[in-house]
Amino acid sequence: MPALIELNDLSKDYGSFRALSGVSLRIDEGITGLLGPNGAGKSTLIKVLLGLVKINSGHGHVLGFPIGQSVAQVRTQIGYMPEDDCYVHGLSGIESIQVAARLSGFSETEALRRGHEILDFCGMGQERYRPVETYSTGMRQKLRFAMAIVHDPKLLILDEPTSGLDPEEREAMLNRIRILAREFHKSVILCTHILPDVQSVCDRVVIFARGTVRVSDSLEALCRMPDPSVTVQVTGDCQKLLGRLEQKGLRAKIVLPQQLQIIGDAESLSPTLWVAASESDCVIRSVTPSKNSLEQIFLDAVREVHRADS
Amino acid sequence: MPIHNLGYREWNGTLHSPWTRWMVVAEIGIRRAWQSAWLRRMMFFAWVPGVVMGFMIFLFEQAEKNDGAARDVLGNLTSILLLGHGMGSDADALLQHFLESEATPGERRHVFWSSLLLNLFRRSQPLILIPMVGLIAPPLISQDFRSRAFLLYFSRPLSRTQYILGKAMTVIAYLSMITLFPAVCLFVVGILLSPDISVLSATWDLFFRIVIVSAVIVVPCTALSLMLSSLTTESRYASFGWFAIWILGFLTYSIAVPFSSPGDDSLMQCVSLFHIFSDVSGWLLDPRLAVSGIETRLVTLGVLTAVSLAVVYRRVSAPMQI
Repeated sequence: MPALIELNDLSKDYGSFRALSGVSLRIDEGITGLLGPNGAGKSTLIKVLLGLVKINSGHGHVLGFPIGQSVAQVRTQIGYMPEDDCYVHGLSGIESIQVAARLSGFSETEALRRGHEILDFCGMGQERYRPVETYSTGMRQKLRFAMAIVHDPKLLILDEPTSGLDPEEREAMLNRIRILAREFHKSVILCTHILPDVQSVCDRVVIFARGTVRVSDSLEALCRMPDPSVTVQVTGDCQKLLGRLEQKGLRAKIVLPQQLQIIGDAESLSPTLWVAASESDCVIRSVTPSKNSLEQIFLDAVREVHRADS
Repeated sequence: MPIHNLGYREWNGTLHSPWTRWMVVAEIGIRRAWQSAWLRRMMFFAWVPGVVMGFMIFLFEQAEKNDGAARDVLGNLTSILLLGHGMGSDADALLQHFLESEATPGERRHVFWSSLLLNLFRRSQPLILIPMVGLIAPPLISQDFRSRAFLLYFSRPLSRTQYILGKAMTVIAYLSMITLFPAVCLFVVGILLSPDISVLSATWDLFFRIVIVSAVIVVPCTALSLMLSSLTTESRYASFGWFAIWILGFLTYSIAVPFSSPGDDSLMQCVSLFHIFSDVSGWLLDPRLAVSGIETRLVTLGVLTAVSLAVVYRRVSAPMQI
């Protein structure tokens, strides 16, 4: 199956600041969670996908179109919900969504009909006739979501769709995303800091940090922990230690630079591990039971970048 | 298939051509601007001079039929409205000469109509144009920056050029309503009130002159006002800049020109947009009027438009670079 988005060695600089550095990524159909701390490059990546900024190097495809080309056609098939509040001053909710639809190519009448249909789906009642300036945060979120899906896009890019929502509205929003993905086969890129949302709806997770992709795998694979294992932080030649451990019959892998994961429980592994470390001239900095929560995966990825920087 | 379904539904319609998307931007701007009661009042008053001039064309045609009363009223109205208002001694003398001379009716009509149009473009409409643009244009781009509406626009299949074109058409539409349309209406009224269609052979050029003069006034004003709007997120600063450019230019010219030597005021005249438009519209509407340094004024307008549009394009691109 062709990838929805495929990026190869993509870089983007803003002056002397490198926002994206050698990003290679493949995103297939389904719901993908795009995670990363502030300034990780998520927004820049979204702008690149939408053709709003030009890349400095690399290549790739979005919905079958080469990056930076056929921008209008790409945008016709993408629905983007920005994190920031954005609206045309002086318009009501229904007028805003009508404008969004007309900018995507709908006729005036069809845009109005479709706008009402989508606002019904988003659970917005008579408040649709009020000026957007008078809306609460939650209503604005719903309106932005409605504007993103009004033209029935193939790919949805949702930037923090649940921030500022109360628990009930948050669940309703996640449910809408599930419906669009499962029943109508829309692909979704969910960009958020709320990890439970990702665990709740996403099939796949991409973690960004400092403009690079740190983790990209299915959520199931990431969270799978069939055997007990330990995570070992080392200083020295990690590869050599890995070789020693394998010689001694242990199953291990390098999960991050200077970090190994060894299958087995900590008590039984300890003697062999210390001997192997001694033989490979490595210093063991920490041994912790491996965790499979998304939060830990995220924190490990981000901390690793900070560690490399320091 | 449900009988009633408020759930999501797929859409399989046909999309409009991408080349017409700028019209949506223009339509939003026009509708939003029209919500202002001040703008509607201005629009009403902007048409009053045109109506008066239409009446003068009626009197002119009556006077041509040797109606003594109409000739007297026209003479008085011409003295009050057209002559001696600083329109330029050349224009005044020319009008006076033709009204009193034994020129052919076609020549008289041409001079009279062009004098009316000259008054419309040089005297009455700028007084409406300046506050009208000051009301419409400042929020057009600055408010989009403040409310971050550019994310709504540019995440859709809409290019920056189309966005700027849409915003420009908002201003152009309103300015055309107070420059091009009243002038064209005057021309049409003149044709309809004249004795026969042969009048067209003597006056056809005025229609094209009206279009060109309107474009020369409207396009630089639109570009300049959009540039000011794009430089700030606070529309009141853009309004302030707009009025400051006109008022300071006019004052500078008024103060400095008496000190410059005669015939050497072309560069100084370029500091005042009011005088540039006045001279250029005079030159375009009646080439018999001698206007010195017209090239300098035309170049000034061209440079002003080009620089303004370049700044607008750059400013509209800027939010994406953050």
